[in-house]
Amino acid sequence: MNFWEMIKMAMENIWANRMRSALTVLGIIIGVMSVIMVVSIGQGGKARILREMEGIGTNIFGVYIGSTDDDYEKYRITLEDCRAIEESVESIEALSPLVYGYAVVEASPRKESAYVYGTDSDYNRIQNIRMAEGRFFSSIDNAVSRRVAVINRRLAEELFGSARMAVGKKLKIQQVSVVVCGVAESGSGMFGPESPMVYMPIKLHFELFDSEESINQIYGSAAHKDLVEESARKAIRVLEVRHQVKDSNVYQFVTLSQQMEAVDQVLAIITMIIGAIAGISLLVGGIGIMNIMLVSVTERTREIGVRMAVGARREDIMRQFLLESVVLSVTGGLVGVVLGVGISAVVCMAMKIPAVISFGTIILALLFSIAVGVFFGIYPANRAAKQDPIEALRYE
Amino acid sequence: MIRVEHLTKVYDTGIVRVQALTDVNLEVRKGEFLAVMGPSGSGKSTLLNILGCLDRATSGSYHLEGIPINTLDENELAHIRNRKIGFVFQTFNLLPRMDALRNVEVPMLYSGVGPRERRKRAWEALEKVGLADHALHRPNELSGGQRQRVAIARALVNDPDIILADEPTGNLDTRSGLEIMAIIQGLNRQGATVILVTHEHEISRHAQRVVHFRDGRLVRTEVIAEPVQAEKTLRENSQQ
Ligand SMILES: Nc1ncnc2c1ncn2[C@@H]1O[C@H](COP(=O)(O)OP(=O)(O)OP(=O)(O)O)[C@@H](O)[C@H]1O
Ligand SMILES: [Mg+2]
Repeated sequence: MNFWEMIKMAMENIWANRMRSALTVLGIIIGVMSVIMVVSIGQGGKARILREMEGIGTNIFGVYIGSTDDDYEKYRITLEDCRAIEESVESIEALSPLVYGYAVVEASPRKESAYVYGTDSDYNRIQNIRMAEGRFFSSIDNAVSRRVAVINRRLAEELFGSARMAVGKKLKIQQVSVVVCGVAESGSGMFGPESPMVYMPIKLHFELFDSEESINQIYGSAAHKDLVEESARKAIRVLEVRHQVKDSNVYQFVTLSQQMEAVDQVLAIITMIIGAIAGISLLVGGIGIMNIMLVSVTERTREIGVRMAVGARREDIMRQFLLESVVLSVTGGLVGVVLGVGISAVVCMAMKIPAVISFGTIILALLFSIAVGVFFGIYPANRAAKQDPIEALRYE
Repeated sequence: MIRVEHLTKVYDTGIVRVQALTDVNLEVRKGEFLAVMGPSGSGKSTLLNILGCLDRATSGSYHLEGIPINTLDENELAHIRNRKIGFVFQTFNLLPRMDALRNVEVPMLYSGVGPRERRKRAWEALEKVGLADHALHRPNELSGGQRQRVAIARALVNDPDIILADEPTGNLDTRSGLEIMAIIQGLNRQGATVILVTHEHEISRHAQRVVHFRDGRLVRTEVIAEPVQAEKTLRENSQQ
């Protein structure tokens, strides 16, 4: 009997008890499936985040007021602060202030709620915003607070039907009429398409929202990747001096590498949890296999006796049952791989992230299921092989 | 060909000690048809299991074609069972999930015969016992007599020198029993040594020699000058 025939025989025996076999390998299926899924989706998510971050530029950082202090008025960041930073920190290439707002945007007869950002003309360069139609507002627009705005494709489509139709049209924001000078491509957010957005000159924003000059965040880009943190610290230093800050926690900064680390940490935790679940599933699955193989050995005691009577050696019987448990666990492993890959593909598609199927993981998962089959199959197989032929033949 | 000297078998279960065979001396010639008779518990199956290399004697010697069986290890015994011996059991002992053909193939799985050759030889064996037309039936789709014929096909498929049958007709009606005896006699005529355990007098009359056992001892040997021919009996019965 060659190897393939033995595998065929094992499959026949498993098929003869298909329901029981299927239930038995459930643990293995779940274990392998979750490993494949967590690796694929995790890798895919990470690749996506990396790509997005690299799209923005790895050199950027943000500075903001961290602790909400009672003396907010004293610390608030002004346009003057921005200018001071730009002048005194050499390693900073570009700097943009940013204020957030949220408003109903009206283009009669349609209305839509949108995020309204006030910033300057450098912002699209720092954030790597791609224009679909028209242009981003210019430094002159900004300087004279011209009533122009850039909206994103999402908002353009909601209000005007298409990006092209939007350019040159008028919008009403906070009762003020503003002309659309360009449409930006919507960057896609983590969980679905980006929200409707409006970008406008920052002073116009202050005017529209009737607010005092208070910047939520400064975005800067450093001349070099290695200068990001240093630039951010220097920028904070400038702010601290200008605002006479003693407590050094008032201004804080965030960089991409920090965010990437946070993503990595979350992924590592999820991987660990799922890894533990997978490990337990495989263990339970293995015990299930051992159990069912012991049942099988008992049920087939007579068969073992017959096979021995017609010339099977103990090692033949051993091999037969061991192979059966391995085929069982590997079948579970394969089903787990197929389900894992399938579900990952669907989930990745739904989340619009690239599906990263790692062949290393698949091979590892299959090797693991073989190992489970061997490890938990040895005891039952040994028990089968140890039968006394006469006793086995007499077994009722 | 088969030579057994001072053979003793003791079963020691720890609680009871049963002397199943005591000082058995027996010689069986090549091509002979021997019947073993005796009341229940007299040690017939025990003897057959030892002759079939399924069990070992407690003491004494057993030579098969000059091979000292006592000295062989388990794998060598398995090899002898595979090549030289064909077992037929009272309860058929077919594998329930396989059809007749595949049941007959089982001994060849352990003698390194390739799949095509195996199939061919299994067919031939089934033809010999007149069951080729039921080759693809599973045991539960066959009558008792047909099952026993499949079992005989399995016993002879590796072309053994010796056929050992432990009450092969025990679970069968008279007619099926006679058919089985006819097949066994046919195999014997073609050269196989046959040792058959039975406690039916009529069945034992088909052998050339009968050894009688009592309490584990061989107590009497009887030579049958003119063995009954099962073929003939069947023919006569069908004419009536
Ligand atoms: N495994 C065993 N353990 C203990 N005693 C056994 C065992 N096998 C057989 N015996 C005993 O050995 C004796 C001979 O048994 P054996 O099966 O050879 O008898 P037998 O002549 O074949 O009887 P039957 O006609 O009922 O089949 C009996 O007393 C039986 O109880
Ligand atoms: Mg018996």
